[in-house]
Amino acid sequence: MKKPVLVVLALTLGMALAQSVSLNGAGATFPYPLYAKYFDAYQKLTGVRVNYQSIGSGGGIRQLFAQTVHFGASDAPLSDEKIAEFEQKFGTQVIHVPTALGAVVPSYNLPGVTQPLNFSGPVLADIFLGKIKKWNDPALAELNPGVKLPALPITVVHRSDGSGTTYIWTEYLAKVSPEWKAKVGVGKSVSWPTGLGGKGNEGVAGLVRQVPGAIGYNELIYALQNKIAYGAVQNRAGKFVLADLASVRAAAELKDFPADTRVSITDTPAPEGYPIASFTWILVYRDLDKDKAVKSRAEAEALARLLDWVIHDGQRYNEALHYAALPEVAVKVSEANLAGLRYHNEPLNQK
Amino acid sequence: MNLRRRYLRDRLMVGLVYLGTSVVLLPLLLIIGYVFVKGVGALNWDFFTKPPAPPGEGGGGMLPAIVGTFIIDLMALAMGGLLGLGGGVLMAEYPEHPLNRPLRMVANVLGGIPAILMGLFAFVVVVLPMGGFSAFSGSVALAILMIPIIMRSTEEVLKLLPWELREAGLALGLPRWRVTLSLILPAAKGGIVTGLLLALARAAGEAAPLLFTAFGNQFLSFDPLGPMDSLPLKIYVYAISPYEDWIQQAWGAALLLALMLMLTNFIARRAMRRR
Repeated sequence: MKKPVLVVLALTLGMALAQSVSLNGAGATFPYPLYAKYFDAYQKLTGVRVNYQSIGSGGGIRQLFAQTVHFGASDAPLSDEKIAEFEQKFGTQVIHVPTALGAVVPSYNLPGVTQPLNFSGPVLADIFLGKIKKWNDPALAELNPGVKLPALPITVVHRSDGSGTTYIWTEYLAKVSPEWKAKVGVGKSVSWPTGLGGKGNEGVAGLVRQVPGAIGYNELIYALQNKIAYGAVQNRAGKFVLADLASVRAAAELKDFPADTRVSITDTPAPEGYPIASFTWILVYRDLDKDKAVKSRAEAEALARLLDWVIHDGQRYNEALHYAALPEVAVKVSEANLAGLRYHNEPLNQK
Repeated sequence: MNLRRRYLRDRLMVGLVYLGTSVVLLPLLLIIGYVFVKGVGALNWDFFTKPPAPPGEGGGGMLPAIVGTFIIDLMALAMGGLLGLGGGVLMAEYPEHPLNRPLRMVANVLGGIPAILMGLFAFVVVVLPMGGFSAFSGSVALAILMIPIIMRSTEEVLKLLPWELREAGLALGLPRWRVTLSLILPAAKGGIVTGLLLALARAAGEAAPLLFTAFGNQFLSFDPLGPMDSLPLKIYVYAISPYEDWIQQAWGAALLLALMLMLTNFIARRAMRRR
């Protein structure tokens, strides 16, 4: 009677011990569909299991500071103050590893309107400030000649959790609208003048889908995968641009790339560039032994190898999921950064 | 004439009682029926045997969540059951013990705390010091949730036993601990197990305490010190997602969770009756 129980126990224990390295990460929902694909492929390739939970960029940064994860993920780079706090607290640097480029699109639910609408930065700011209340507002009609806009009230949908997508969105709106900058500002979570909150990119997409007349903001893939309509946005050159790989890539063509990779590409001057695009980052400790979640040299090495794979071979998964691959210059800078990863002051073997 | 009227009134009252009963049962049946109709379509072989697929790809299943639910809940039952039983026995069998008053207060307060705070507590005392999310920390959160329920039900059941039973044991020269262990607990077995099951059922449906403890894991894991998935967590994540197939799977998971709880209940009751 007791024997089968023991056998099962031994088996379970054996399986637990035989398991190869597993890494844990948490953060941004913006690249979640891509990361899920990366880590699914990486597990099949190497057997290393990377568990990623999309709890929002704010949560990802918090867990990185709490040392409960091997890596955090965020679409907003750490601010200078946060970096200073990190360095002072942990005695090491934080490394930003860009993994992909994405676009944040104004997603909306307007029954009866089939062609993509045109938006401009100031109009989007006014909508999210609650100043434009109806879909047939003259400001919107002027941008969309020939489109029959319904007299539906606009329901603004925004994120309820700390979000890098929110950071990108508000950073862009602050660049194009002085009123937005003064009243709401830039951040991973801001005090919204109006609207409903959804948790994660998933939550916002879900709400927009359910509420006729709703407008929200989503990473492009969430709009595409869920067949939610999204609009074109007027860039600095005056052109209405729909978010796609080409327009995001155009926005990311930078001459000089900062060594810490913290760069904003919203409101791009590129004539063909989409104005609300951004890099998304994985954040790790440079001295991996300082992160309590990293329990052994083997784990540190697995993490270094994973990141190396993501910025090289992993990039080929980006474009199928509508995230632009990293530009060459970003890969070069990241290689140098990753070469600096250490464990107890010894460099890590990355290959 | 008078008699017939009395019969009539009797039948009317019985009718009202039936009506009341069915009104009470109706929401339960509606919930189970609705979950069944929505969820039964998601239950297929893949659902039970595969790990989840990346979003938008379709396919995939709930295997890690199903296994994780069992592991996390059983660990929680082992911890919470032991402590809850101990507290219940102390309160019922040693009414004069000075620890009783504070214990009762703790049980009452604990019972009124929202479940998510148990998760926060486990995050602070287990996850942070250990440097990582783990199934164990999730079990701790659920165990704390179970303790007041088990404590109270154990106390109630033990108090129902006739005091003469204890006197008989003491008269035979048994020490007090022996009376409790060999006479009282076996006599109250049925009620105690019911209490344990109630606590298990309550905890098994909770997602909030697991959010920042068990954390979730898309891979099948048996490691109690690593992140692990669980059905309520999956339901929470999938139900708010915009993906049709994930929402469908959330319904399936809800149905499975309900069925599992009913089955546990049923099996335990049957096993108890036989002995």
